[in-house]
Amino acid sequence: MAKKPVSPEALHKVIMVGSGGVGKSALTLQFMYDEFVENYEPTKADSYRKEVVLDGEEVQIDILDTAGQEDYAAIRDNYFRSGEGFLCVFSITEDESFQAIQEFREQILRVKNDENIPFLLVGNKGDLQDRRKVSYAEAQGRAQQWGVPYVETSAKTRENVDKVFFDLTREIRSRKMEDTKTSNGGGKDKSKRKKLKCIIL
Amino acid sequence: MMDVIIQKLSAPDFSPENYVQELTQRCVGSQELEQQRLRIQALAEETNTLLKKNVYRHYMQFIETAKEISHLEGEMYQLCHQLTEQRALLAAMTTASVRGEKGLQSNGIGDECDGNKEEEKEQKRRQQLIDIGEAVEGCVSLVDIPGRQLMYDGDLLELDPIDNTPLQRVHAYLLTDTFIIASWILNRRSPTRYKYEAGYELGSLAVVNVRDLKNAFKLLVFPDTRVFQCSNSQTKKEWLEQFEEAKKLLVSKEKVKREISVEPKSPARSDTLETSMNPFEEPEEIETPDETPEWLLEVAEDLDVFIAQRHFEQAYKLIEKSTEYLEKNKLSNDLVAEDLKRKLDSRVKTLTNVLTKELEVSPDKSQQGGLRAARRAVRLLNKLGKSTQACDLMLKLCSSLLKTQLKRVKLEGAAVKYVTRLATVFFSNLAEMVQEFQFKAFPNSPQCASVLIMWLNDEVNILMSHLIKQVLVKQTSLSTLSQCVIALHTQCSQLDGLGVDVKYLVDGQLRPGLTRALTDTRDKLIDAVKLRSGEDKWHPTNLNTKQQRDKLLSEFSNLPALQFESYITGDFWIGLSANTIAFARLYLSLIEDCLLLITPDLTHTIDQLLYDVFSAQLKHVGNSLNSERFRNERQFITINGKFLVDKLLKHCNELYEKKVGVRCKKLDQLKIDYSRYQVTITSYI
Repeated sequence: MAKKPVSPEALHKVIMVGSGGVGKSALTLQFMYDEFVENYEPTKADSYRKEVVLDGEEVQIDILDTAGQEDYAAIRDNYFRSGEGFLCVFSITEDESFQAIQEFREQILRVKNDENIPFLLVGNKGDLQDRRKVSYAEAQGRAQQWGVPYVETSAKTRENVDKVFFDLTREIRSRKMEDTKTSNGGGKDKSKRKKLKCIIL
Repeated sequence: MMDVIIQKLSAPDFSPENYVQELTQRCVGSQELEQQRLRIQALAEETNTLLKKNVYRHYMQFIETAKEISHLEGEMYQLCHQLTEQRALLAAMTTASVRGEKGLQSNGIGDECDGNKEEEKEQKRRQQLIDIGEAVEGCVSLVDIPGRQLMYDGDLLELDPIDNTPLQRVHAYLLTDTFIIASWILNRRSPTRYKYEAGYELGSLAVVNVRDLKNAFKLLVFPDTRVFQCSNSQTKKEWLEQFEEAKKLLVSKEKVKREISVEPKSPARSDTLETSMNPFEEPEEIETPDETPEWLLEVAEDLDVFIAQRHFEQAYKLIEKSTEYLEKNKLSNDLVAEDLKRKLDSRVKTLTNVLTKELEVSPDKSQQGGLRAARRAVRLLNKLGKSTQACDLMLKLCSSLLKTQLKRVKLEGAAVKYVTRLATVFFSNLAEMVQEFQFKAFPNSPQCASVLIMWLNDEVNILMSHLIKQVLVKQTSLSTLSQCVIALHTQCSQLDGLGVDVKYLVDGQLRPGLTRALTDTRDKLIDAVKLRSGEDKWHPTNLNTKQQRDKLLSEFSNLPALQFESYITGDFWIGLSANTIAFARLYLSLIEDCLLLITPDLTHTIDQLLYDVFSAQLKHVGNSLNSERFRNERQFITINGKFLVDKLLKHCNELYEKKVGVRCKKLDQLKIDYSRYQVTITSYI
């Protein structure tokens, strides 16, 4: 128990969302313990924490692995509220799971009330190319429409597993830094930031 | 002596007056009286100290007794608790046995047992809640809510949510709708053992199993996170199970509640009333089957309720049903029918208004739901026969959605990148909207489809006029422009699959700007050609080093048609003037850009551009041939001219033909023009 104190700034809360059976837990466990769990057992809500070195800085990733099953849809709000970033997972072998992400995205945006919440679209089961039902272009198109990155992973072969967690954490961290900057730095930074944006149409 | 006085003073019939009289009689002189006074004074002091001592002793005894009593009280309480537990256990055992027997027993007895059981359960429930209220300081009124029940309780260790260090020991209660956390009171003297710390509604609480921390679970209560550790894995499992159970109960209860409120009462009522006659109606009409059913009379009120509760579907169903009923059964009472119709009409209007409001775009409304959020209102408006309105509103909504989406694209970096990103966002959203519109919202509706086309036209025009402002400015180079156009074209094609072609719109908007850009480019290039021509000395180019030569060769190596190697002489001499090489470079990039931009509309301008620029260079060659200044260079100039016409021009026209399908007549014209120069030269020589 004798852990050194962690500052809240270095603890990033990631939430795994997506339909049941798309491999949220498999991705999480692969990331946490480098192992692929073959047998399927529906998750209710599990949390994990891992300390990693991200770009030379020690941070903790707090992962909340949520239930994909429809029964839990009504109580998801409470889980989503605590998240700082989301990995929205579907299975490239199952079109329904891809269709379902729209609802997840909407729910997250509604709960967080923030259109720019760190968010990554993840197409899992990339090792099962022969059973692919969702084309890369289709998923990429959806991600583009939302303005979020799309990454294909395989929890089995560990392909891109670290990448999705690291990318998202990086995004969360930069969001936080930006937020503290704007709250501390006063008007100067804000106006600077605004300059990059363009009001069009 | 002292004792005597004490006896006298403490005698029951002691009277101060008599005592003083006696003293004055007995004592002689003031001295003796003084002595008496001293004696009494000493006595008073002694009594005082004695009294003090006594009080102190009593006080100690009092404290001890109090301690003893509180101890006893605690024991009594524990005893009481144990008794309640035992009673609960016994009650559970009896209900278990009753249930077991129930299957065998006849219904009557079973019901009776049920009644008793219910009562017992209720009693138990109340008692448990009262017990909690007593044990937890600052926590009362748990019993007030019917159906609330204790599901689980136990001791937990709260941990710091960030670094997992122990914070405090707590006792937690899980009720059917709340979770209560109470901290321990250290010096307890009463039955209240804990101090109420926090209560969370189960509905706003999320439970998480913390996998990598022993026996711990986490509660997410926005914005707090609280981590608790159980004493062993078994209790953790039980806690989680009970939480799950409670959550399920809560959800199902809410569902039932919703269903009850959603379930329209009227149809159920109408079923019974349509078959059975209402005895309170006018008696002569009892024979006619088409008397106004009660639900119909209440339709207006029910509709108001549905609309207020936003159960639009139900409202619509009810409207439909009522209209149908009114049409089918000619109501005997015209007045009632009139009235009903009027009421119904006004409700339809209200419903339409509410739905219209739903769809209207307002700055304070969230757009997160996107188009899917509009589906419901659009569908209902369609059903109400208000497709036109729905169509207009939906398109307005689309416009505003598009606008917000586009606003998010930042204007930064290269123009090409910006255009590509903007076009991607625009056209992918547009594709989605068209899809939604054509297949979900208004399938098989030609009127709406034509409105959609009009709308598309407007949206594309808005986008294009913005892009033109941003990109089609004087400084933008032709190659940037061509890449932007290509990006737009690729993104446009997203709509091809939906049977909508907006490419012509895009091109149409671009045409004036592009034409201007092309003319500007022409003028710029001709100036450049003229400038360089003025400095042209018509000497072969010295590349100085081998590297330079190889570099140049590799630059043109993918254009074998130019046969560049054949002009190499010596180690690093090239039999062409620097001007010619520069022009070749310039013209090749020009034709590449032009061919990317070319559309039937722009063919003329582009042809002219290509012609003019080349012609300027040829003019320079022709003039030089005829000039006295370059008399000695004529041979060399002819080689250069030949290279331009036979190699470069030919190659460019081939490129042109490959792209457009026909040869460029203007470029062919150039060859003829140049041959005219040659004629003059030959005649000159």
